[in-house]
Amino acid sequence: MPEFLLGMALVLLLTMSAGLVRVVIGPTPADRMMAAQLLGTSGMAVLLLLGLALEVPALLDVALIFALLAAVSVAAFTRRRAGEDQA
Amino acid sequence: MSQLTLLIVFDGVLLVTLLALGFAAVLSPEPRRAVMLFIAFGLWLSLVWARLKAPDVALAEAAIGAGLGGALMLAAARRAARSSARTDGGDET
Amino acid sequence: MSTETILHLIAAVSVTLGAAFFFAGTIGLLRLPDLFSRLHALTKADNLGLGLIMLGLILYKPDLFYAVKLVLLWVLVMVSGATGAHLIAKRALRGDGEDMQ
Repeated sequence: MPEFLLGMALVLLLTMSAGLVRVVIGPTPADRMMAAQLLGTSGMAVLLLLGLALEVPALLDVALIFALLAAVSVAAFTRRRAGEDQA
Repeated sequence: MSQLTLLIVFDGVLLVTLLALGFAAVLSPEPRRAVMLFIAFGLWLSLVWARLKAPDVALAEAAIGAGLGGALMLAAARRAARSSARTDGGDET
Repeated sequence: MSTETILHLIAAVSVTLGAAFFFAGTIGLLRLPDLFSRLHALTKADNLGLGLIMLGLILYKPDLFYAVKLVLLWVLVMVSGATGAHLIAKRALRGDGEDMQ
């Protein structure tokens, strides 16, 4: 069963690498941000699978930080300047 | 497939994409795109630390390297774009 | 078959389904034509894929503390994912985000 979890982590890692193409080609910055968000979530899944397969339970906390990171970077990315008139 | 083979393939994929991301971030001409690639690079490096069974380093890399550093660099890139637009006489903010 | 084998089997199916959702989401992100349909594909993969994988992991390792932590993590991802997707879509639609030009 650890082999199965590791194999699934590998599959997810490959889909993440495919998603990287969207970060690189982009066309708009919003596309890049979205791709980074998907990267964060699949990274969380990989971390959870690795945590069970390699028996490192602390990887759960790293996954927690990944979730926070996605939220913070989206908030930093979509902010507007204060004082701008409300659209 | 045995666990060892799987781990070796996993490491290979991690390494190749990490290198590609690093090169793409360094060679990218536009600051905002470089920052986005840097954030992705931080996430990826954190995965590498996790694979090396170093969850504490992975935590620090994800929180400081990708999160805090990424947000600060995003703000810096935005400011740089604005000031260069001003010196060029353009009015895009 | 023992109960443990059955649980592991269900866990394997659930994790595979979750990975399939992530795969579909990535395909959508790469192939769909415009920003909003890509956003649509992305959020499905985020919430459901991660949820199914976490369900599988909880079934694989039935431990109360672990299960509670995973469920809380999933709730956090759903809340932040929904808020983030909404913000991105709103800024892209109105074109008033500083980084959207």
